[in-house]
Formats: sequence, C-alpha cells, structure tokens
Amino acid sequence: MSLEILGIRHSFGARTALDDVSFTVLPGVLTGLLGPNGAGKTTLMRVLLGVLVPDAGEIRYGGRQVGTGARTTWGYMPQERGLYPAMPAGEQVVHFGRLHGLSAAEATRRARDLLEELGLGERWADRTDKLSGGMQQRLQLATALVHDPEVMVLDEPFNGLDPLAVAELSETLRRRAREGRIVLFSSHQLDLVQDLCEEIVMVDRGRVVLEGVVSTLRAGAGDRRLRLTVGPGDHAWLAAFPDVEIVSEHVDELRLRLGDGGDPLAVLDAARAAGPVHDFGLDLPTLSELFLAVAGERTPAEARR
Amino acid sequence: MTGWWSGTLLVLRRNLLESLRSKTYKIITGVLVLISIGVVVLPQVFGEEETTYTLATVGAVPDDVKLLLEAAGEGGDFTVEYEAVADADELRRVVQEGDATAGLTEDRLYTSTVGNGTFAVLVSQAVVAVETRDRLSEAGLTGAEIAAVQSVSPPEQVPVGRVDDEDRAGVGFAVGIVLYIALTFAGSAIATAVAMEKSTRISEVLLAVLRPSQIVVGTVAAVGIATILQLLLLVAPLAVAVQVTDDLGLPLAATWDIGLAVVWFVLGFAVFAFMFAASAAMVDKITEANAAVVPVSMVLLVGYMLGVTVVANDPTSRWSAAISMFPFSAPVAMPIRWASGEVPVYQLLVAMVLTALTAVLLVAASATVYRRALLVTGRRAKLRELVREPAPASR
Repeated sequence: MSLEILGIRHSFGARTALDDVSFTVLPGVLTGLLGPNGAGKTTLMRVLLGVLVPDAGEIRYGGRQVGTGARTTWGYMPQERGLYPAMPAGEQVVHFGRLHGLSAAEATRRARDLLEELGLGERWADRTDKLSGGMQQRLQLATALVHDPEVMVLDEPFNGLDPLAVAELSETLRRRAREGRIVLFSSHQLDLVQDLCEEIVMVDRGRVVLEGVVSTLRAGAGDRRLRLTVGPGDHAWLAAFPDVEIVSEHVDELRLRLGDGGDPLAVLDAARAAGPVHDFGLDLPTLSELFLAVAGERTPAEARR
Repeated sequence: MTGWWSGTLLVLRRNLLESLRSKTYKIITGVLVLISIGVVVLPQVFGEEETTYTLATVGAVPDDVKLLLEAAGEGGDFTVEYEAVADADELRRVVQEGDATAGLTEDRLYTSTVGNGTFAVLVSQAVVAVETRDRLSEAGLTGAEIAAVQSVSPPEQVPVGRVDDEDRAGVGFAVGIVLYIALTFAGSAIATAVAMEKSTRISEVLLAVLRPSQIVVGTVAAVGIATILQLLLLVAPLAVAVQVTDDLGLPLAATWDIGLAVVWFVLGFAVFAFMFAASAAMVDKITEANAAVVPVSMVLLVGYMLGVTVVANDPTSRWSAAISMFPFSAPVAMPIRWASGEVPVYQLLVAMVLTALTAVLLVAASATVYRRALLVTGRRAKLRELVREPAPASR
C-alpha cells in the first residue's frame, strides 16, 4: 500500500504554495521531503493530514482517496512540540492513543511498551514540562506512534536535536519503515539527512524539483569530485588538466570537479608528483549541491514569470 | 475516531481532569467554599448569642409579670434582667441612658425610642395579661376558665405574596456579580486552554484526527462543567440553609432566584464561551491570550454595567426590559431584573430563547473562525483573513 500525492495545488491569496505536486511514498522506504524554508513542506504535510484542504489534487493511500476516517490510522508529529505541558507523560501517550480509536486498556498497554522502548519508562507519572528537551522529543514521537500507525508523517523531526538524538530517532524511524510502514519526514537540513533517508522528494517554491533514491541521484549526477589533502603549493600542476575545475580550496584541502571522462587516477598521480598527498577520495555531490544545481537552473525561468 | 461524541468526550475528559487538578482551580474552589460556609455559618454563630433585656422597676417586679416574661424568654431565646430603682425620675434616667431596655411603673412603660420593638410589646402584654387575669378572677371566673380565655392566640401569620423587598433585590445584585465573575473566569480559562493548544501546535495533531467542532466543544464544555461545579459549591450550602432555617434573612423567592442563576450561567456561558475560544485561537503565544479576549470581556462588562446601573435602578423601564432581553447583556442583566419581582414570566422566557438561539449561531461562527485561526502560526491572526482562508506562517 503506497501513499500517492497527486497533482496537489494550493494558494494563499495570490501566493502559490504548492504547484502541481505529485509523488509516491513506498512502504518500507524511509523517505525525506526536502527543501529550503518556505518551499511548501509544511503546507504539503498539512494537506496530507487533512488539516488544510487543497485547491486541487488528491491524496490516495492503497489506491483509495483518503478521508478523515482513514487518517486515524496515521501518525503525525508536528514541527514544534505538540504536547500538553501540565499532563503526565504516560497519560499524554494514552490520551493520543485513545484519540486514534484505541480502548483505554489497549492504549495504556501500548503506551507502557512504547515509553519503555524509548527510555521513558521511569518518567510515566512525571509532568511533561518537567522533562528535558530530548525526552520531550521522544515523548512526542511516542504520541505519534502509540496507535502503531500505517502511515507516519513527521515535520522537521530532527530540528534542534543533538547528533546522538538524531541517530536514535532515525533508528526508530528506520525500524518502523522496515516493518513495512510508510514513513515520510521533512527537513530543510539537506546534508544532515542525506545519510538517513533512502528516497527523497525535493521541493522548491511549491514544486517538486528532484526525486528518487538518494544513492542513485548522487551517483547519477555525473559530477564526480576528487578530494585531495596536499601540502602547500601553487597547484601549477593542474594546468595539465584543462577539464578539471577547482570547486573549493580550504587550507590544505582541494576539491576538484572532474569533467566527463576525466581520469581521477591521472590527476592523483600528477598531484603526487608535484608534492606530498596526505589523503584523497572520490566524493559524490551532496544533496545541497544537487539542490543548488536544480534550483539554479530554475531561477532564471522563475524570474521571467 | 468512532464518532463525534466519543472524540469530543475525550477532549472534554482531558480538559476537565487538567482543570480539576490545577492549583488555581483548587485555590479558587477552596475560597468559594469558605465564602459559602461563612455566609451560612456566621449568622448562626452570632445568632446563638442570647439577647439580654433589662427591665427597670420602682420597687420589686410583680411576680406574675416576671413569670410571664421568663416563659416568653424561653421560647424567644432571650433572658431578662431586673433592676430596681428608687423612683420614677431615676427610672426615666436609666432607660434614657440605655442602662435598661424598658422601665415599668404602676401605669407607665418607659422605652428609649418610640415603639421600642419586641421587648416593650412583651412587657406590655405581660402587664395586660396579669391585669386581665386579676379582673376575670374578681368577676368570679375559675382558674381554668381564666386560663382558657388567656390561651386565645392571634391567627398564625403565613407570608404568601410576592416579596418585592430590598433583601431580594440584594440577592439579584449578588447573582449579577457572581455570574459576571464566573463568566469572566470561565472565559479566561477557555482562552488559556485554547491558546495553549494553539501555541504548542497540539491543535495541528488534534485537527488530523478530530473536527474543529469536537475540539472547541470539548474544551468549552470541560471549562463549563468545572465552573458550574464551583458555582454549585458556592450555591448549595446557601440553598440548603435557606430551606432548613429562616435565619439567613433571605426571602423564599430568593432561593428560586439563586436556582435561576445557574440556568443563566449555562446560557451566558454558551453565548460567551465560544467567542472566548475563537478570540484565543487567533494568538500565537499563550501570553497574548488575555489581550486577545479583551473585546469579548468588554461586551460582558458593558452588559454587567448596564445591569447594575440602568436595570437595578428602575427594573420596570423600557430600557431595562430591552437590556435584560438583548442576548449579550441578558445573562447578567436579566437575573438582576428578575430579582426585582417586576418581570413578566414571558419576558424571562423570551430572553432565554433569544440567548439560546444566539448561542447556537455563535457556536457555528466561532468554530469556523477557530478552524481558520489555528492554521495561522508564527504571528497573530488578523480578523480579516479569518473571513477568507488564511495564509500560512512566513517560514
């Protein structure tokens, strides 16, 4: 059962927030909805959750149009913390479970299991506002997962998390995805999540500009870079390679874009001949570089509109 | 979500539990209970203190008079002290200076003021009774016959007419104040609850599974129930005390006025609560909530001010009739006016129906504003954009 977003359009007055957005999220694949601030990610998530009714287009799940009833089996984690500050942690998870249709007993059982899994078992009776930021984030996740949703939609879940929390959260999400759930999360920190998600949908100014499997997209960019850590020098040896272009040059690190068919080994040999090479490697373009490439292409067209 | 009611009840239950657990609620409830108990108990405490009257006489008090007064004292919770003075002049003086309640001579009863209340009447009656008995005895009646004549008592007085007195107007005034304060507190509680859900983005999670009407009705009903519980705590001891004893000095009609106040609270709450909810949904931060509900509070305040000035001054004027039936001022003004006893029942019913209809219209309108306002985040929503679909946050 896949989640299909079909031709979604939405405007706020004269401003177009979503312009014919279509893509599919497959079960079992951790999918990132990426793009800069203001790209339309939150608007799209609100449309997905039925909080906002789009001007055109539809959301389909398992081939059927999604109505309010179907969404009770979904889980949503909003961008900022959506928790009741004065409510005890356990009770909070039970409450959200019951809102999603669980019985009191079932919701309590699952809430206990989930808080145990997320390391919050001891904090069941504590007021939510007495928990640390990281704990609240995990509690928020628990409220979104308590009813074991088939579809999980998370708005900027990694925002403001330390690296350890990012690793824990992504592990939890990956596990749900492996179990065959649909997991879609948004982020504006493209490079932070490039190793976390398997598929991406990149949006900019309300349109999908890039989508696909992350590794394929990066490898298929036809844009390999050679990274060299070299001793000080004027890099005069590069003159022998007219197709090679310097991408960046920081202290002793040199990043070079190899043109089509350029041989990285030949360039490496030339560098070693000119001086010591302490480290080297072949890099694929980062997601932000891919984004800048596609966004840059669109900018002149946007300006003419 | 299995139905509109189950979702709404979950929202209601959560909000009610949170209200009942909050410190503020406990403190306010405690104070209300203290006030209520105080109003009932204090008059009893002070009422229990026995009244003592002093009767001054020239020479000894006739034993028969003394016996009769003591018998009356047992029934009326008072004791009598006696003071013997030398002559009539001194008798006048002790009464004048307040050392004695009344002064009795052979043919005169001195009192400090004209018609000096119960005790003077009792002394007069005692003197007359003794004198009557003596004369009947002289006329040849037996002791039993005399007792039969003297046991004749006046018919018992039972007040049944409408009581249009100041006590009842006072009750109306008190009811007006309590309603105004209760609606203001409830409004503030609703505003805080709604603004908290909005500012923490809980509303977004809720809107994914609930309809806006479920959230707003559940929240409003929870605060309403919590406030009615407080009102009942305030009213119940009073109502019981009025039924059990007459010592509170409240006329019977006032009990019904107090009962009616609870009905008016429900109606007034229905009109104002949803406006409070919709206003609070427009804020971005919880701290803005109190400022956001000022327009609604002002409408409530104006209704109350009109109630205590125009209506209380002259409950029968046309203006008073209009103010007490206008849906936005009726919940506070009508109870004040009703206590005057000058309101035809049909006007009360018209006011109730109009207020109820207004409430129904406002629920629908407020739910729309509420739904739209929830989507405006990162800044305060403008009233204009709530009429149309709102723009999202700038981010």
